[in-house]
Amino acid sequence: MENNLPVFLLNKNVQNNSFQKTRKSKLPFLEKTLKKIAVTIKLMYLQSEVTSGKKILHIHPQVKVFSFIYLIVVISLANNIKSQLSAFFFIVVFYLISKISYKYVYKKIIFLSFVFGLLIFLPASLNVITPGKIVFRIFTFNSPFHFLIYNVPQIIGITDSGIHVVELLFLRVLNSISLAMLFLYSSSFPQLIKGFKVFFIPDTFLMIISLAYKFIFILSKSIEETYFALKSRLAGNVHNKNAQNIISGRVFYIFKKAQSNYENTYAAMISKGYYGKVIFQNETKIKVADIYFLLIALITGITITLI
Amino acid sequence: MHIPDGYLSPQTYIPLAGVFVAVAAVAVKKVKKEVSAKSIPYLGMASAFSFLIMMFNLPIPGGTTGHAVGSAVIAIILGPWATVIAVSVALIIQALIFGDGGITAIGANCVNMAIFMPFAAYFTFKLINLKSQKPLRIFIASFISGYLSLVLASILTAIEFGIQPIIATSADGKALYCPYNLSIAIPAMAIEHLILFGIAEGLITALIVRYFFKHEPTMIYALNKGGKNE
Repeated sequence: MENNLPVFLLNKNVQNNSFQKTRKSKLPFLEKTLKKIAVTIKLMYLQSEVTSGKKILHIHPQVKVFSFIYLIVVISLANNIKSQLSAFFFIVVFYLISKISYKYVYKKIIFLSFVFGLLIFLPASLNVITPGKIVFRIFTFNSPFHFLIYNVPQIIGITDSGIHVVELLFLRVLNSISLAMLFLYSSSFPQLIKGFKVFFIPDTFLMIISLAYKFIFILSKSIEETYFALKSRLAGNVHNKNAQNIISGRVFYIFKKAQSNYENTYAAMISKGYYGKVIFQNETKIKVADIYFLLIALITGITITLI
Repeated sequence: MHIPDGYLSPQTYIPLAGVFVAVAAVAVKKVKKEVSAKSIPYLGMASAFSFLIMMFNLPIPGGTTGHAVGSAVIAIILGPWATVIAVSVALIIQALIFGDGGITAIGANCVNMAIFMPFAAYFTFKLINLKSQKPLRIFIASFISGYLSLVLASILTAIEFGIQPIIATSADGKALYCPYNLSIAIPAMAIEHLILFGIAEGLITALIVRYFFKHEPTMIYALNKGGKNE
């Protein structure tokens, strides 16, 4: 009978004989991968769990997708600080209405806004990026000079215009991230995908996204299982060269597994009457509450724009 | 490489979203031709594969680990058109689940990483490898294609940032979106990708392609004469 065990289980691992007393992981790179995958699954699960029972969840998917994308575009168009502050106020109100616990998302919002909204844009407050009246001197050179392709002024400092630019960009990134998180955590993934029909995205493409989402779950499980199988027979550390081979092998295995999954899925689709045309079912009808939600979103957007 | 919301002006993200939609539509048609009715589950599989491949950490010289964008390796294994769909879907799922990359910037991110990068990688690989079946040549071609495609994609991303102070400013000249002009954005993005991330991408691409070549060379689209996926 042919042996179907994976090659890495059949190969004798020499390091098994040298039990090294180390607390470090034998496969730190795989640990990292697994951790990432675990976080993915947790987030996917959390997203579907957190959404259950929330008021915004029951809004018609297309109305919701349209409203949120409209508001995100409005935020990207709002070019003054007052508008961004009012947008922030409305987003907080939306969080309160949706009853999404801020504790699920605030860490992510703060971290992402700090990195992408503040840290990256902070140098823009300097006069070398944003000219203007210097309100805080940082450094003074003997004279202005030319460095490579850059003209460096004699005084380096924070300008009033620079502060304004950083404030505006920070608020815009903060609002965009907060709104995106509200959108993501108040929608289940399948519902969200259905909602994208409002932008005339072909059913074929939406079906591919849905299938990929399901395949990710299945394949993640395979990655975890192969990791544990590998870990169970290792005692020592793994050299870099072997490690690279192991990971490349895992990727290869995932590809083979994915390929077999798709063959099986295709067979299942055929057995259910698939003939090459995809029609994405969306039977929910637009209710009065959906129209109210749409109106609230539209009025919010107009208010932000007019302020 | 993932552009968040708020960095690009509508003058940039709307046309890029249009480019993405147009190219994605062509890609679906192209792949449908090659894999016929199986295209839907095939592309679903390819997307899941590219999503997961981006998660694999690999030890790289210097005692650290890195993960690839993955577009180059997927383009070599699955072909550039399938990669357009696969990586786009992976990026969309990343944006919708993790908030990695902005919702308004989905089009821009897809153009950079799911359209430009795979084609750059695929044609670089074809150009260097020609029709060689020598493992070393394939390894080198894969490395260069991964390296070059990421560096070029990072420069494209930098151009998208860098034009913001030119095309989107207030009446008094203040930046409304990304405030760094081309002379800052391009060096900032290119240098880190030239000396660090590009090497990691190249190495990961080369190692994975080498493994595929050693165990099942017929699976590699770029080495397959007809270029069929089946």
